[in-house]
Amino acid sequence: MNLVVIGSGPGGYVAALKAAQLGAAVTVVEREEVGGTCLNWGCIPTKALIASAEALAQARRLADFGINVNGSLAADLPAIMERKNKIVATQIKGIRALFKSWNISLLSGHASLLDSKTVEVSRSEGTQELLRADRVIIATGSRPAELPMFPFDGAKILSSNDAVNLSELPASFIIIGAGVIGCEFAFILRELGADVTIVEAMPRAVLSEDAEIAEILEKELKKRKIKLITSAKVTGVATTESSVEVVLDGDRKLAAEKVLVSVGRSYNTEHLGLESLGIARGPRGEILVNEKMETSVSGIYAVGDVIGGMLLAHVASKEGIVAAKNACGISAAIDYRVVPAGIFTAPEIGSVGLREHQAQKQGIPYTVGRFPMRGLGKAHAMGEIAGLFKIIAHAETDHILGVHIIGPHASDLIHEGALALQAGITAQALAAMIHAHPTLSEGIMEAAEDIRGTAIHLPKKN
Amino acid sequence: MNPEDLKYHKEHAWVRVSGKKATMGITDYAQEALGDIVYIDLPESDIHVEAGTEMSEIESTKTSSPVIAPVSGTIVSVNEKLADNPEIINDDPYGKGWIAVIEIDDPAELDELMDASDYEQHIEENK
Repeated sequence: MNLVVIGSGPGGYVAALKAAQLGAAVTVVEREEVGGTCLNWGCIPTKALIASAEALAQARRLADFGINVNGSLAADLPAIMERKNKIVATQIKGIRALFKSWNISLLSGHASLLDSKTVEVSRSEGTQELLRADRVIIATGSRPAELPMFPFDGAKILSSNDAVNLSELPASFIIIGAGVIGCEFAFILRELGADVTIVEAMPRAVLSEDAEIAEILEKELKKRKIKLITSAKVTGVATTESSVEVVLDGDRKLAAEKVLVSVGRSYNTEHLGLESLGIARGPRGEILVNEKMETSVSGIYAVGDVIGGMLLAHVASKEGIVAAKNACGISAAIDYRVVPAGIFTAPEIGSVGLREHQAQKQGIPYTVGRFPMRGLGKAHAMGEIAGLFKIIAHAETDHILGVHIIGPHASDLIHEGALALQAGITAQALAAMIHAHPTLSEGIMEAAEDIRGTAIHLPKKN
Repeated sequence: MNPEDLKYHKEHAWVRVSGKKATMGITDYAQEALGDIVYIDLPESDIHVEAGTEMSEIESTKTSSPVIAPVSGTIVSVNEKLADNPEIINDDPYGKGWIAVIEIDDPAELDELMDASDYEQHIEENK
C-alpha cells in the first residue's frame, strides 16, 4: 500500500511513522521543515524561550534561596535564540532519523491532489513530480490568523512565527489576543524585560479554561506588571517609523514599539486541490472528517489543525495514528473524551475534562474540591506557592468530570487527572490513593478529598 | 498595641481620619493572622469603594484574603511601595504599611467604626 502524507507536523509525521510500522510504503511531502508548527514555530521553540525566561526569573530571586551573587544579570537574546534553534534542530534531526529507520521517503515541495490517487509535488527548484497513492493523509496544519485591518509586516506587526525569532527585544509590546499564545508570549517578553500590554476582546484571558483558573492567571499577570485590558476591541492600528499605535473601541489609544497579533489560526487548505476533488469543508474552511478521519472522498484522510477542533499537537498525533490505522486497513476511531492540555505561562496551567461553566451549562449536578498550592510544603520549599488544584466531580456518582491545575509543573501534574478521567474513577478513589510526600501531586489528593470537605490540610469549613 | 487615635472596622481594617480623607490599612491582628505577606493586589486610584466590601486582596505564604473597605468613598492615593515590598504591611501595619487614602463620602459613616478598646474586645470575642 502506497501512502502519501502531506505535511510533517505532529499530525503528519506520527501518521507516517504509524503507517510505516503497519507495513505501508510511505512518502511524506513537506514544503518547509519537518515538525510543522509545533516544532518550528510553536510548542518546542516557545518552551525553549520559556526555559530561558524562567532561568532569568529564578536568577533574579536567588537571594530568596539564600544564594548571593555578585554582578549583574542580563538576557542575551541572540544567545537565547541560538539555544532555542539548537533544540529545534536536534528535534528535527530526530524526526528525520525516525523516518530513515522506517524507510519513509521525505520529499521537499508543495503537494496538491490531482485526483484521489495522484499527488503532484512542486519542488523548490521548479520541477514537478507525480506520486501515485493508494491513500492520502492531509496534515497541512494551520498558520497564525491575520486580521485584514493590519496584516503582519514582520517588523512592527508580528505573528507568533515572527515573535519566536526576534533578533532584539523591543522596549514595549502590545499583544492582541489573551489566548494561550498571547499569554505565553506575554510572560516570556515581560521576563526578558519588555513592557507588555495584552488587549483582549472577550471579558477574560484564556477563555477556554475554567474561570477560576483564568482569574488566578490574571492575577499572576498583574503581579508581573503585565497589563491586561479585557472586553476591548481593536478598531485600528497605525504604524509610524518608531512605533505602533493601537486604537481600542474607537477612542482609547495605546502605543508600543511592536505589536504581536495572536487572535487564532487559519487553516492551510490553499492550493491542495481540495475544491476540484470536492472534499467537503466546514464553515471556517476546515476539512470535514468522520471519527475514522476519513474526508468526504474515499481514500483521503485529514488530521490535525486543518480539520479544526482543538488545534493541539497531541490531538493531531492521535488523529494521525487513527488515520494511519484506517488507511492500512485496521479499523480505528478517534476518542476526544479525555484530552489533557497545558498552557506554559508562569505559573503553568494544566486542564482536562469539564470546566465548571461547562458543567453548569450542561446541567450536570457537580461538586468542586479545591486545594491551594500554598497548602503544600513542597511548593514552599520550591518557592512557588501561587496556584490552585480544582477537581469537579459528579454530585451523585462522585465520578471525576474535570481537573484543573494552575501552578508549577501543572502541565505534567494534569496527567494524573487525565488518567482518573480515562479510568472513570471517583474522587474518593483518587483521594484514597497514597500520594508521595513531599510532592506537588499531593494537591490532587487533597483537592479530591475536599470534595467531601475533608481535606486534611484545610481548616474546617463553616 | 492598637493606636488610640485610629478607628477600626470589624473586618480588621483601620482608618486615620484627617478632614475628608481617611488613610486606611489592615490591623496588626490581621497581619499577624495572615503571616508573611507576599503580594497585595493594590486598588486603583479614582475607583469608588463601599464600606464592608472587598477593595483589595492580600496574599501571604499561608492564604489569600480580601481587604475590606472600612469606609465608603473614592480612592485618592495608593501606597505604591507595597507593590514591590508588600512585607512592609507585616513590619509596620499602622505606619508605612498603609494601603490607601479614601476620600470619605459621608463622615457619619465613621460613627459605625470601633475605637481601639472596642476593637480589642471584638478580637477577643472572636478568638
